[in-house]
Amino acid sequence: MKEIHELNLPEEVRYAEDHEWVRSEESKFIVGISDYAQDQLGDIVFVELPEVGAALSKGEAFGTVESVKAVSELYMPVGGTILAINGELEESPELVNSQPYGQGWMIEVQPGEAKEIDVLMDQKAYLEMLKGL
Amino acid sequence: MVETGKKTRLHDWHVQQGANMARFGQYDMPLWYRAGAKSEHLAVISASGLFDTSHMCAVIVEGNDARGLLQQCFSKNLQVCIGKQQSPLTAGRSVYGVFLAENGSVIDDAIVFELNDQLYLVVVNSGMGPEISAHLRSHSGNRSVDISDLSDELGKLDVQGPASARILGKVLADPERVFAELPYFSFKGHFDPASPLSEAAVLLDGTPILLSRTGYTGEFGFEIFIKPEHFVPAWERILAAGQDYNLLPCGLAARDSLRAGALLPLSHQDIGAWPFINNPWEFALPFNADRSGFTKQFVGADALLNLQDDMYTYAFAGSDLRKVTAQDPAAVLDRSGETVGTVLTCATDMAIGRHNGRIFSIASADKPAGFQPRGLCCGFVKVTRSLQPGETVRLKDNRRSIEVEIVTDIRPARTARKAMARFLK
Repeated sequence: MKEIHELNLPEEVRYAEDHEWVRSEESKFIVGISDYAQDQLGDIVFVELPEVGAALSKGEAFGTVESVKAVSELYMPVGGTILAINGELEESPELVNSQPYGQGWMIEVQPGEAKEIDVLMDQKAYLEMLKGL
Repeated sequence: MVETGKKTRLHDWHVQQGANMARFGQYDMPLWYRAGAKSEHLAVISASGLFDTSHMCAVIVEGNDARGLLQQCFSKNLQVCIGKQQSPLTAGRSVYGVFLAENGSVIDDAIVFELNDQLYLVVVNSGMGPEISAHLRSHSGNRSVDISDLSDELGKLDVQGPASARILGKVLADPERVFAELPYFSFKGHFDPASPLSEAAVLLDGTPILLSRTGYTGEFGFEIFIKPEHFVPAWERILAAGQDYNLLPCGLAARDSLRAGALLPLSHQDIGAWPFINNPWEFALPFNADRSGFTKQFVGADALLNLQDDMYTYAFAGSDLRKVTAQDPAAVLDRSGETVGTVLTCATDMAIGRHNGRIFSIASADKPAGFQPRGLCCGFVKVTRSLQPGETVRLKDNRRSIEVEIVTDIRPARTARKAMARFLK
């Protein structure tokens, strides 16, 4: 298990309580799970993602991530329409372990309400939350 | 903060190595190390894995009537249990079975080791030493027998996988002699230096061990019982010796996925508070030839022969790696959609996959060219009616439902029972 100081927690993304991250790119949001989440789950062997075009509200499940240990829900950190999914994860789910903020991204979202990202935690707040776990 | 559990002697080592730790029974145990559970699972199939299993308990049963007490309490008939000949348990051999309550439910499963005809080592699960000791005492009556619980007085580590003998060959004094005539479910040596048996299996530094050709992965390998003070040095020496053989330290996640694929039950999950019968492990019961009764009387036997409600436990294998969460809980649905039972274990064996419907392992000699399986979900279900191998049922938790096949075996090409010679080359 990674120690808190070993975690890769980039400053340019926002974090949700359920350990998803959101990165704002132009008018779209990219979503994945944090380094903490992938470390807790262990080897990720399967990722189930939504249909492109699906409209999901904040907090709704958009898929599942399956590790050797457990199957976990993935929750929308912001509401919106699914513009794209990371098809590479079907063949290479381990990308979520190795590059959680890069090639291991999960969905691209057209936000319904762009301001929803503002209520998510910044790196500092997320780190504080993790220290309390 | 989560309340911390008991620690094995390797606890600090596990943490230093970056293991993900979790509570298992009373102990904080490693789930996996940095390599990850998948690599650890595959290492045991193709190379070797080293497991800290010192959370398990051992009970010594000693005295003129030790065998008689075990005959009364343990499910296996110790007079009729070894090999195809079904010969009696003798010194240096061991046997798997269960301890049942009067109502036929399982207190725990165990391996009984015969050190001599008045001295038996009974190895049970984590935290079960006191309960099994009390159970044996309650049935000892006027018998001349001493029962001592070795909980926390014994270290145990498992070396599992095809390279295990070659690795241990580097740390044992006189490995040729130790490995000679050491079939599956036999053992040599003793962890107590005072025992005359102890000279039969000794490490290079003189540490006496009890070396047993058993394990809980379905693969060739050994369980080593050792005094706690020698445990950490022995672990480190074996790990160092294994460097040239791709030995990996393995956590409980790999142990769970390996044992599920090998059709081995997890006590208090796949066997437990219901009658021990109509399951894949009836070989642990002393049935007579025509299965009309048992070859001996033992605690729980009457209940098993006079069942009120039939329950059936079966192994299953899925069509891909996706699991349901047994603790969710997950239900078993028959073809008409009716709920017929519950899921006991659902794990992913990462070394296997289906090709044209048939299950192959990365160790299968006849695997298809370029075979790179992603794993298959597998485990055990408990249902209210009998099912046939090949029948399909659906497993449904709160997230998903998957179709699985009732099977009589899961991971092919397992090595546990293979002759020692092929692993010494």
